[in-house]
Amino acid sequence: MIAALLLSFVFLLCVGVPVAIALGGASLLYVVLEGTTPHLVVIYRMMAGVDSFPLLAIPFFIMAGSLMNSSGITERIYDFALALVGWLKGGLGHVNVVGSVIFAGMSGTAVADAGGLGNIEIRAMRDHGYDVDFAVGITGASSTVGPIIPPSLPLVIYGVMANASIGQLFAAGLLPGLFMAATMMGMVAWYAHVRGFNADAVFSWAVLGHTFKRAILPLMTPVLLIGGMTTGVFTPTEAAIAATAYALFLGMAVYRTLTWRGLIRVSMETIETTAIVLLIVAGASIFGYIITTTRVTDEFAAMVLSITSEPWAVLLLVNIFLLVIGCFMETIAAITILVPVLLPLMEKIGVDPVHFGIIMVLNLMIGLLTPPVGMVLYILARVANISFERTTKACAPFLIPLVISLLVVTYWPEMVLFLPNYFYR
Amino acid sequence: MSKLDNGPDLGDPTIGNSDEVPVDLRDYGPEDWAAFALFWALAFVVFLQFFTRYVLNDSLAWTEEIARYLLMTVTFAGGGMAVRKVTHIHVEFLYVYMPQGVARAASTAVDLIRIGFFAYAAYLSWSVTEIMTNQRMVVIDIPMAWVYAPCMIGLAVMTLRSVQVALRHWREGASPLTRVSVEGRHQ
Repeated sequence: MIAALLLSFVFLLCVGVPVAIALGGASLLYVVLEGTTPHLVVIYRMMAGVDSFPLLAIPFFIMAGSLMNSSGITERIYDFALALVGWLKGGLGHVNVVGSVIFAGMSGTAVADAGGLGNIEIRAMRDHGYDVDFAVGITGASSTVGPIIPPSLPLVIYGVMANASIGQLFAAGLLPGLFMAATMMGMVAWYAHVRGFNADAVFSWAVLGHTFKRAILPLMTPVLLIGGMTTGVFTPTEAAIAATAYALFLGMAVYRTLTWRGLIRVSMETIETTAIVLLIVAGASIFGYIITTTRVTDEFAAMVLSITSEPWAVLLLVNIFLLVIGCFMETIAAITILVPVLLPLMEKIGVDPVHFGIIMVLNLMIGLLTPPVGMVLYILARVANISFERTTKACAPFLIPLVISLLVVTYWPEMVLFLPNYFYR
Repeated sequence: MSKLDNGPDLGDPTIGNSDEVPVDLRDYGPEDWAAFALFWALAFVVFLQFFTRYVLNDSLAWTEEIARYLLMTVTFAGGGMAVRKVTHIHVEFLYVYMPQGVARAASTAVDLIRIGFFAYAAYLSWSVTEIMTNQRMVVIDIPMAWVYAPCMIGLAVMTLRSVQVALRHWREGASPLTRVSVEGRHQ
């Protein structure tokens, strides 16, 4: 019976049925075959699956990022990052990473980063004579810190599925995100050394001060959001609405770059993305309920543990598994489907659910840069106007710092859990 | 063409220039405006909660519950937009390897499954809504059916939009999925 559930799900998924329908449809088929549960339970659980307070953060984090992008705020951040690190050798590469880190503190998705800031960065790097492949590679890689540094859409979904504290997950993401940025800047420095890149700007306190003043209002966003959420003053939902209200205020009252029509457009996009994400969550809540109550997840855990019960080896296997899944599957879909499957296994080997959240999301972020399904690759190919294949090759070397970060995050739980332990436990 | 071409515009490079891209309000259907109203009601309620808690130091009890229910309705009302624009997330990479005839058949099957699922879900949600007429909300004395009925309508709209999309694919002899097969790769 449960085999029918899993097989029909995989079949529906592969044939191209939307993920939400594949989850709901396979669950419906299971209930029909089982014959004892009323069919309406499936649809009831789907609807009730969205009835969750933490999920309220999702539309507003989406909207805040979108508003920041459409109010010219991204450019101010870029200018500030340029004044801050543009004088280093390989300057614009470093600017790219620093800009992404700042933007990551206001937006919850990697695609918002790649499409908004990435657009400016790639254009600027081309103008300064960097080859496109380097520009695309570093832009793609740096966009993946977006969902590791809070706020983060994938971490909210993970927290809801795993029943883990989203505040703690956000706190846990901060240090790994900064670590990732450091490894990428190391990579840029190495490139600059080997290829003899020069600085792209001269350091000047006057310019730094000026660009800082221009960017101070948007720069308050990450400070307030990350500060408020990691210390537990704001709940993520409160932080999300505050960020949206603030971005609206900046766009409509201060900079006056956001028109009413622009606002309608941003609202509609937010609604569309919210519906897409939450319908998957709805489907996953009934699907996850079935596979958990039928105890297949326990059997799966027992099977893996029969291969090896060494925690480090299990973590290695799970990492490889997630990297492979990440190549084929969209982030949110992968999280909703795999959390109920993998979390019991993690609990058996004593991995903290908050720690595992960061591991899982980082794996899936790497998946954004790998073919055949890599959202960031599609976007960058379009932004830089080069082929999908070339984009893939351009991003490949930058998987090295990301995989190093992944290993560190996986095998150094103290680093990941330092802030959550400090503020919450 | 990938699903991103008409997809949620988070990754759209033009998003930074909302003034340069003309926004055609006729692109939006009636269900989109319904979702729009629900979304802004949600934003208002969540903001009210934030405001009453931090500024007035006395959060309104009903805001959290109502916000959760509004989010449910936004989800199901907004789903219609994604069905119409075929932007619900799906896995399409197998189509790269499919011969055109197979891709066409599979894509038609997807259209039919989509209609079938939404139609049956809409039908089932009618029964759920009926049961919920006797259930009351926790903080405010309103039947839960007020939440489930909009979701049911959302599913009904998604069914109709699925039929529309299927007919369009049938008429044009192509869908975003078959285009992946024709072009042999993404994008």
